[in-house]
Amino acid sequence: MQSELAGIVDAIPAMVWTVQADGRADYLNQQWLDYTGLSLEEAYGDGWQSAICLTDLPAVLDYFRALQPTGKAGSIEARMRRFDGTHRWFLMQCSPLGDDSGAIAGWCWYISHSELDERRRTEALLAGERRVLEMVARGRPLAVILDALCVVVEAAAPGCHCSVLLIDPRRSAFHAGAAPTLPSGYTTAIDGAPVTRTVGPCGMAASLNTQVIVSDIASDTRWDRDAWPALALAHDLRSVWSTPILSLAGNVLGTFALYQQEPGRPTVLHQALIEQFTHVASIAIERAQTEAALRRSQAFLAEAQRLSSTGSFAWRADSDEVTWSEELYRIHEFDPSTPMTLQLSATRVHPDDIPLFTASVENARRGGGDFEVEPRLLMPDGSIKYVHVVAHATRDDTGELEYIGALQDVTERRQSQDALDKARSELAHVARVTSLGVLTASIAHEVNQPLSGILTNASTGVKMLADDPPNVEGARETARRTMRDARRAADVIARLRALFSKNGGVIESVDVNEATREVIALSSGEWRRAGVIVRTELADELPVVSGDRVQLQQVVLNLMLNASEAMSGIEGRARHLTIRTEVDDDRRVRVSVHDVGIGIDPHNLDRLFEAFYSTKSGGMGIGLSVSRSIIARHNGHLWAAPNDGPGATFAFSLPVGRS
Amino acid sequence: MADALLVTVVDDDESVRESLPDLLGQYGFATQAFASAEAFLASDCIDRTRCLILDIAMPRMTGPDLQRELTRRRHHIPIVFITAHADEIDRPKLLDSGAVDCLLKPFSEAALLDAVHAALGAR
Repeated sequence: MQSELAGIVDAIPAMVWTVQADGRADYLNQQWLDYTGLSLEEAYGDGWQSAICLTDLPAVLDYFRALQPTGKAGSIEARMRRFDGTHRWFLMQCSPLGDDSGAIAGWCWYISHSELDERRRTEALLAGERRVLEMVARGRPLAVILDALCVVVEAAAPGCHCSVLLIDPRRSAFHAGAAPTLPSGYTTAIDGAPVTRTVGPCGMAASLNTQVIVSDIASDTRWDRDAWPALALAHDLRSVWSTPILSLAGNVLGTFALYQQEPGRPTVLHQALIEQFTHVASIAIERAQTEAALRRSQAFLAEAQRLSSTGSFAWRADSDEVTWSEELYRIHEFDPSTPMTLQLSATRVHPDDIPLFTASVENARRGGGDFEVEPRLLMPDGSIKYVHVVAHATRDDTGELEYIGALQDVTERRQSQDALDKARSELAHVARVTSLGVLTASIAHEVNQPLSGILTNASTGVKMLADDPPNVEGARETARRTMRDARRAADVIARLRALFSKNGGVIESVDVNEATREVIALSSGEWRRAGVIVRTELADELPVVSGDRVQLQQVVLNLMLNASEAMSGIEGRARHLTIRTEVDDDRRVRVSVHDVGIGIDPHNLDRLFEAFYSTKSGGMGIGLSVSRSIIARHNGHLWAAPNDGPGATFAFSLPVGRS
Repeated sequence: MADALLVTVVDDDESVRESLPDLLGQYGFATQAFASAEAFLASDCIDRTRCLILDIAMPRMTGPDLQRELTRRRHHIPIVFITAHADEIDRPKLLDSGAVDCLLKPFSEAALLDAVHAALGAR
């Protein structure tokens, strides 16, 4: 090369080098040497190849070998290594050099873009990527983000049409992500298609989880039996490279595809773009999915709070910073946009409960730990709400005390509790009347016995007075017995009236032994009729309990009737019913009724006490349920247990009362 | 009253054991009272008893139980059952089994005497 020409070539802002047909370099300009930092001696021959990025070199050489027979000019993108060891992307152009006869004497390579251009392009790409990631961070809609992503990619890869398809995992179908420059006729045909390998390269890439390159749609045979090639060709698409977009966990979220209107394979630059932007797309899609899941769970939470009338709150004890859930605003009837403070929330607390509220707050502020209070709220319209507050103390990273808690509106429960108490008392009456029916025979017996004595004694007395001389002493004795039996009959009637009257609720000191004896006396006919032998083991010096005597007697009677019922089918062994009173280990008065009947199924232990649960064909199943509620109202406990031997034991215990 | 006919009362109710013998005594019967079937079986009154006034419902051995036991021992004592339970009596069945009568407490003096006389006549 003439030196003058060489000087010019050295001056232009381009790297130029020539190679012979065998690929060996015989000329490199000063720009090339300056950029790579190589000397002429090092670069001559095959030496120039060491300035091409090792990863890209095979593609460059392949390309060159393929270009040579065509005798045409071409270009390939590859990274060059700079003198400082950094790599930069360049468009390397290659043109044949003719000799005087017009035959190809060698090839001239040149890189016309200055490094500045290349840097600008890199910066533009980085800026584009940053813009997209910023949109992700700001929570912009996914479709908008993916559209912007396609625009950035298309600017960096001229001639490419970028498409992102998303996969709906529930239906295993594609839906449109973004494809701003693809024909809409094409994209709408793919939208909603199943994720299968027959639906073009995107379906194949997604279902096989691998990149699919179609360099010429017209000649590719993989979709011969499918509609896709005709669809693509009808929209002037000739090549497409589709890559699966993977989540962090490795699941296929969608596909990222570059379409061209010419046949072709992706260059190294294209592959780098694809790698970079499938990753960005993955971040955008995962973030959108996470946000959707978060929104859904927030919606669930809000709905759950509304349904359960429960709100949640956070309170920083040091700064008094308060955060309320929407439901908490609703319960307190504050506008949700009102900034919440402890002082503001206190304005809703019922004046009578302010001391309770203040004490709880002060105690919590001093680090009192978890707390639970049930203050009343006074609403602006004068109505009262009952709320139940539970708070848990935590410390954040800086050690600041924070309470996380829940507040439930229990007004309705309080009101229904009152209604329930009323219903329960009526139910108890029904149960008593039901027992009355069961005891009719026993009552008749208890009344008929003294009546029989009265009648017989009176007859005897009349006969004695009619004697001559009248037996006055004998008649006096029979009259005395008549009076005694009449009192006995009157007692029975009085006890009955007490036991079955609807009145109750008189709290008094009750001698449980005495009360038990009365029940047994009243019902003795029933046990006799049922063939049940009642044994009593009543503790001496049993402390009194405080309660409703009649109700407690009702429970004893109920348990005895159940025990008798359980033994009704027992033959071959005595039907023993043992009723025992004692002071248990917890210093409570315990009454237990032990039978030798059919026993109870341990699986049904809990159900036994449910209202209307009955194993008896004729039973209403309210006896035990009512008994348990009576005992519960006496702060006691009623339970059942199978015996070691035959039968079961029903027992209750009550706190000792003040005598 | 060595020749007086012995009427025995078996009832767990004390009031009956007090009043019934006194009334029967007014009509010239000798009487004995027992609080349970077992006590009667253990006594020496079985052979001398001409009429047994027997309560049906008693703990342990019931009236009908005693009736069966006496039959088993071949003591054919006429029995008048008494009971305060109106609804548990299968009266025809009791009469079929050899009982002379069955009285519901409270019963009248006349009903008692009729039943006792019927029992004595049945021998």
